[in-house]
Amino acid sequence: MGGMLVSIRDLTLRLPSGGRTLSVLDGVSLDVDAGEAVAVAGPSGSGKSTLLGLVAGLDAPTSGTIVVAGVEVTRLGEAALARFRRETLGYVFQSYHLIPTLTAAENVAVPFDLAGTAGATARTADLLASVGLGDRGHHYPVQLSGGEQQRVAVARAMALDPPLLLADEPTGNLDSATGGAIIDLLFALNRDRGTTLLLVTHDEALAERADRVVSLRDGRIAGERRRAGALAP
Amino acid sequence: MSAAPRLAWRQARGAWRHFVLLAACVALGVAALVAVGSFAATLDHTLAREAKALTGGDLEVRAARPLDGETAAALADLRAKGASVVSVRELLAMARGADGRALLVELKAPGAGYPLYGRLETAPPAPLAALLAEGGAVVQGEALERLGLRVGDRLALGAATFTVRGVVEREPDRSASLVTLGPRVFVAGDALERTGLVQVGSRVRYRVLVRLPAPLAARDAREAMARRIADPGVRVASYDEAQPGLRRFFSQLASYLGLVGLASLLVGGIGVASSVATFVRRQAPTIAILKALGADSRTVLATFLWQTLTVGAAASVAGAVLGTALQPVLIRLLAGLVPFTLEARVEPLTLARGVLMGVLTTFLCALWPLLAVRTVRPSLILRAEVDAAPARGPRPWAVALPVAAGLAALALWQAGSLKLGGIFLGAAVAAVVTLLVLARGLVGAARRLPRAPWPAWRHGLGGLRRPGGHPARVVVALGAGVMLLVAVALLQDSLDAQIDHERRREAPSFFFVDVQPDQREAFARVLARTGGGVTPALTPIVRARLAAVNGVRVTRDLVRSRVGEDREGAFYYTREYALTWSAEPPPGTVVTRGRWWGPDPGPARISVEEAMARQLGVDVGGRLTFDVQGVPVEAEVASLRKVDWQSLATNFFVVFSPGALDGAPVTFVATARTTAAAEGPVAAAVAAAFPNVTAIPVRDVLERVGAVLGDMAVAIRVMALFTVATGVVVMAGALTATRYQRLYESAVLRTLGATRGAVARAFAVEYGCLGAAAGLGGTALAALLAWIVLRFVLDTPWRFEPQVLVGGIVATMALAVAVGFLATYRLLGAKPLPVLRRE
Repeated sequence: MGGMLVSIRDLTLRLPSGGRTLSVLDGVSLDVDAGEAVAVAGPSGSGKSTLLGLVAGLDAPTSGTIVVAGVEVTRLGEAALARFRRETLGYVFQSYHLIPTLTAAENVAVPFDLAGTAGATARTADLLASVGLGDRGHHYPVQLSGGEQQRVAVARAMALDPPLLLADEPTGNLDSATGGAIIDLLFALNRDRGTTLLLVTHDEALAERADRVVSLRDGRIAGERRRAGALAP
Repeated sequence: MSAAPRLAWRQARGAWRHFVLLAACVALGVAALVAVGSFAATLDHTLAREAKALTGGDLEVRAARPLDGETAAALADLRAKGASVVSVRELLAMARGADGRALLVELKAPGAGYPLYGRLETAPPAPLAALLAEGGAVVQGEALERLGLRVGDRLALGAATFTVRGVVEREPDRSASLVTLGPRVFVAGDALERTGLVQVGSRVRYRVLVRLPAPLAARDAREAMARRIADPGVRVASYDEAQPGLRRFFSQLASYLGLVGLASLLVGGIGVASSVATFVRRQAPTIAILKALGADSRTVLATFLWQTLTVGAAASVAGAVLGTALQPVLIRLLAGLVPFTLEARVEPLTLARGVLMGVLTTFLCALWPLLAVRTVRPSLILRAEVDAAPARGPRPWAVALPVAAGLAALALWQAGSLKLGGIFLGAAVAAVVTLLVLARGLVGAARRLPRAPWPAWRHGLGGLRRPGGHPARVVVALGAGVMLLVAVALLQDSLDAQIDHERRREAPSFFFVDVQPDQREAFARVLARTGGGVTPALTPIVRARLAAVNGVRVTRDLVRSRVGEDREGAFYYTREYALTWSAEPPPGTVVTRGRWWGPDPGPARISVEEAMARQLGVDVGGRLTFDVQGVPVEAEVASLRKVDWQSLATNFFVVFSPGALDGAPVTFVATARTTAAAEGPVAAAVAAAFPNVTAIPVRDVLERVGAVLGDMAVAIRVMALFTVATGVVVMAGALTATRYQRLYESAVLRTLGATRGAVARAFAVEYGCLGAAAGLGGTALAALLAWIVLRFVLDTPWRFEPQVLVGGIVATMALAVAVGFLATYRLLGAKPLPVLRRE
């Protein structure tokens, strides 16, 4: 585990809302080390998901900087951002966001397609097998259960073996047993492959499994605690 | 970028509805273009293949007077080199049957050896010379029918009598003007003298057909002949420049039909743009996911462009196949216009051109809406409810110009001329703008009108305000089709009415040509007796040719230096003029320059028709010299006149002052108006008493003209139907775009207790309003288009045809309601609960 992977400094996002300005994020600073598993916890509306989206460059902050793997995300243009997302990130969403017209295998293959990688078919099959869906590759998202869809989404996020995995309420739409399986999957990836995990959740029990929990309230960092037994930075 | 095709294929699956609409829009337009293009190619090919037969030889020499020494010598030289030479004379004449019935016929007297190329088909099949020997005649079936004759019966022509020995079924070089004045009658060349119809001043066309020996090229031989014959009135043509009038007519007809085809492709383009816009809007979540996964805008754009172009190309190929299949239909519709047999052909170049047009139109029309994928932001997926509308980023105006320029270039390419293409583009832009304004007005009215007390109206009008702007697309696409169809109907009605009007009002029943001076009194008596007291109006005619303009002799070289290869220009120098004289200006004369002469005109003066003066480059004070049977007559231009050639009066290019033509050989042209019932007896009596006089029945000729116009109108209508069909597809597509909204609305309304019928009524109001706007705009534009064409192209008065206009609007409304229901009736049957749950 070496060095800092994500460095967030004074991140602020203000959005116009009903005639006045709403501070979604207000001066958030956060560092995440490579290989670390960090949970961002907090009630809904605290800005957790937005923070994750900004890290992925899905939106631009009002001020502040985000550096991921030595790249200042906030300064990238459209094409460079796309490349950055392709090569550096995996993203798992609360509502899965699989492409409905593609089969499970094809959804997993999208990152390979975008990167122009050869041998995608075999690797797609491996990925699906690794999330326990080896025999469901030809099914469309509507034919899969929520948990299965989320597992496909995890496989898709891990396709290009990115150093950073962003997970936004990955269990939010799942029952607790299914959700637990997904969380096991994510932490296994963190443990076995050394993938840095930045996880957003409002589930305290889930957050406790991370190395570090950062609490967010009203767009500010309200507290931070380290899991007992986790290595100090 | 290699990701694009792969993604495109996979992505295309969920959008079959979109792709079917897109394909239908493109395929219909391409089919229309290919059908017309193949027809034109078939015509070209047939004209080229049949050129020698149509011309009658490798060379044709043609004159309005017997061949002079120069020409005869040149022909003798060719014969010495091994050429076959056949003389043919053609003229109009009256044929009389045994019971006295008379009929205007086109008489043809070929010399031995005719035809040099092609086959003359007769029944019974026999060599023409054998059938024409010993006073034989071969006639077209129509002549037998109208004279009540059979093969073997006697037929009188002028002063001679012939025996009908057969029926001509196919004549290779039948002078291919679109309207013939009567059926064909063949007699032997030497037998023509017996008729007494060939006299000084009678209108005979002298043709010499030449088959060249192998080493002589037709073009070279033509050049050599033209150099030797100074008289520009002798026309020499090689087979490959044959039938220029026919070629021009068909190439123009093909361009007009092609433009109608292009119109349907462009309406299809609206459908493409509309369908793609809807598709992109619906795909916004997927686009956002792709972008969140690291796809850049270029890849996404390439993906969607690839999909669209693949479908566009496949549809273009399908359209080309459909168009090829339709070609025989077009050939059958236009068979009446074509004086030879057409065989449908598959022309690879035409197909390729149609497919290219389809793909380019798809590309140009899809590009603008596809660029919206760039404005879809990946952060869309962060929000709980996925807002389907792409962010309204700055419109890519920089792309609009190339797209518009590309579409304009397509139009010019199809039109084949800058002028025609320009007019088409102007009309298209004007039509689209008008229809858009109308659509916007409709939506505005729906918004501003006080709330209607009837629920169907309230919801129906509300439907017009749905986001997505479907009224604009429906009104423009449907309106454009209606415009073309109604315009054709209006034009045809106006022309028919004009023909009818001429016939009933001013037009004489007959033109009698070649009445001799000593026949005048007897002629008037015969007419008064058989026509119920009618008095013919007799006008003196002196046949002449233009000999000099402002003292410069008219020679072949002069004509060529003045007008080049422009046949219309050459016509004014070389034609046979019918001169007349008059103390007073003829009725309806409009003098545009100079003055009409007074009671004592002094030396010879003339009044010249405007266009002729312009072509010859003479003005008031200039001098024209005419050759009247070898005698030069020079006169000063005293005035220029405008002549209404549409009026069926006796019109003249040149009118002399009284006395100037004294002593010249005169015949008279007579006009007379009789009742329809008297026409037969009058023609019969005149033909019996004056075999040299030709009676041209006006009603008959007008009917033949009307039949030609009718054939053309049907063909144009068929093409315009393509545009309407495409408009229907676009409408169906635009309604599909609002499908989910409609489904939801209908579910909500039914949950609130509305019956299925009530929802259907609300939809009907909406579709009816769309149809009314499209019908109103389309017919108004059609009226404008028809007015412009009538006023500036056909020079025919515009007639207000309320029944056509009202019919156009009502039919469009009915069509819109029908199409609307076909596109959405299944929504009415959907169970409300699942729909609501899904939302």
